[in-house]
Amino acid sequence: MSDAAIAVRPVRAAPRGGGLTGLLLVFLPVGLLAWLILYPILRAVIRTLVVQTGTGPALSLETYRFFFTDGYSLANLWLTLWVTALCAVLLLAVCLPIALYLRFAKSRIAALVQGLALFPMFVPSVILAYALIRTLGPNGAVDLVLNAAGLPKIASPYLTPAGPVIGLVWDNIPLTVLMLVAGLGNVSDNAVEAARDAGARPFALLRHIILPQIGNALLVVLSFTVLSIFSAFTLPYVLGPASPEMMGPFMQRTFTDVQDPRMAITQAVITFAICAGFGAFYVRSIARNREASR
Amino acid sequence: MTAHPTRRRFLQAGGATAAAAALMPRLALADDGTVNVYTGSDSNISDFWTNVILPGFRAQNGSVNVRVVDAGDSAGLRAIADRALAALGTGKDPQVELFEAFTPDQTAGGVEAGLWVDFAEAGIDGWDRVNPEAKQTDLDLPYRGSQVLLAYDATRIDPAEAPRSWEALTAWIAANPGQFIYNRPDKGGSGGNFVRRAIHEANGRDPKAFTIASYSEAFAAEALAPAWDILNAMAPDLYEGGAYTSGNTQSIQLLAQGVVSMTPVWSDQVLQAVSMGVLPETTGLVQLQDLALCGGFSRMMVPVNAAEKAAALELASYVLSAEVQSKIITGLGGFPGVSWDHVDPALREAYADVIPATIPTFPSGPWDAAVNDGWYRNVAPGISRG
Repeated sequence: MSDAAIAVRPVRAAPRGGGLTGLLLVFLPVGLLAWLILYPILRAVIRTLVVQTGTGPALSLETYRFFFTDGYSLANLWLTLWVTALCAVLLLAVCLPIALYLRFAKSRIAALVQGLALFPMFVPSVILAYALIRTLGPNGAVDLVLNAAGLPKIASPYLTPAGPVIGLVWDNIPLTVLMLVAGLGNVSDNAVEAARDAGARPFALLRHIILPQIGNALLVVLSFTVLSIFSAFTLPYVLGPASPEMMGPFMQRTFTDVQDPRMAITQAVITFAICAGFGAFYVRSIARNREASR
Repeated sequence: MTAHPTRRRFLQAGGATAAAAALMPRLALADDGTVNVYTGSDSNISDFWTNVILPGFRAQNGSVNVRVVDAGDSAGLRAIADRALAALGTGKDPQVELFEAFTPDQTAGGVEAGLWVDFAEAGIDGWDRVNPEAKQTDLDLPYRGSQVLLAYDATRIDPAEAPRSWEALTAWIAANPGQFIYNRPDKGGSGGNFVRRAIHEANGRDPKAFTIASYSEAFAAEALAPAWDILNAMAPDLYEGGAYTSGNTQSIQLLAQGVVSMTPVWSDQVLQAVSMGVLPETTGLVQLQDLALCGGFSRMMVPVNAAEKAAALELASYVLSAEVQSKIITGLGGFPGVSWDHVDPALREAYADVIPATIPTFPSGPWDAAVNDGWYRNVAPGISRG
């Protein structure tokens, strides 16, 4: 018993010293996180909850009550949730086939497809918004081609909720494809070939061999896209309808135009709370992943 | 005139934006005898300052160095003005000499603290030439104006038939569904002043009824509700049954692409768009004759604690000179800030048709939030669109 304890001691001491170095190493990012993110969040929450009255500070839920009883604000929140959910589904539908192709294709065309899939990453969203107006917008390039072929014009998505959905999906393709391809890297060629040898058809292969192994990657993809789409600003601002607004433009308008910072921060806190929920998904899946690989 | 979507994502904590805006110039600028001009206007205006005003000023005052900084929009200018107000209390250099496109009422407590130079007292050269119609207070110097008017596709609308009254305009919109669009009132003044013209229409076409002092929640509710009715009645006949563009430029773009036949525009922007070929030569312009669409003057302001105050006042005076004021007409498509009697007679004659007798204005201050947010809540969702 005592021999075992002695044998264990040096092993334990090593990680203790390493822990201190590790803490020092993460101090900078953690400190920055606390200063630039956690502290403003805490301040924002306090600013929305505490009001100065004649007798001193008092707790008030008034702005939250207003938000959750105001039909206009709720419509904006619903639209944001709806656009986010739709974009997430569309992104998976578009990107999973591309990622599967890139994972298993060995041809030269695959490099070209990869280049095309990553291209949106290098296009700023303002440029993208104007490009979409010129192509899919009314009397845009698509309409000109259709007209030349004697076909009727398309129903333009410009200034309708479909506008930002198309823009956001295109804008988020690169990150989604990259993460899915990384996730698909975990799927071993051996498993796929074994299943093929056993006579599995492509769909069964996807369902029983590939999907179970990339569940984690899918979760990560979902939480990332949800986070970035929920807080989108430029595309809904330029391409979307005047009302309902997505939360990004709505917050900006409440802050600068209505000049009601407390209400704008309330909207931001609510948005943040929803995003934090999805963030928790991400953290949980990472933690689970670590445990599994340990 | 426009709010710029410069940020891909809105910061989670709104306060950080103002903090960042206040920090950045402080890091970038030092007290080196430079006149810092902060502008909140579109890029055509900051280009005009850099390419037209500054070379001319330098030719007169070679020793003075001027730097034009784009503050983005009025929210950006507010942050800089708040800094100047704070510096007034501590006696520090505010590192700003001149504000472009700003008004005194936008800085809470600024007027009371005596933050702004009184141009009447300062006796700067040119103050007596400023158009009395354009003057609001002695703390701001109106130096250029522009007005909203209607631009239309003259190949589709006979110029003789173009609407010249509000009634004729609403009749035209109803008779030509889908052919008219205006932008969201907070995203650019062309749509904003179209909405304000509807408010004038609903309240006896009397611009004098609306002043910053006349604002009260009760009066706003009473005056705005009938205007929302007018705009809601017209909504189903607008483009896409009630769609609204997100800026002045986007309205011009739809007109340029032949999607709509008529839209409200800023006079300076549309003249520039025609001269640059964005809009064809066949673009017609018309102003309502029963009561014109609102316009406004952009104002210069100088904080009293500016380190280079004397140079800033010289610059302001130079901007009022006949030389710059003429270029505002020819180069910018704007209206002069000085009375028309003080511009080149040849120009006065050439522009006789577009010189407005009066430019109706609508007060900003608390009205902005009431009008813009009221529009979003009552008009933007539409009746049929839910």
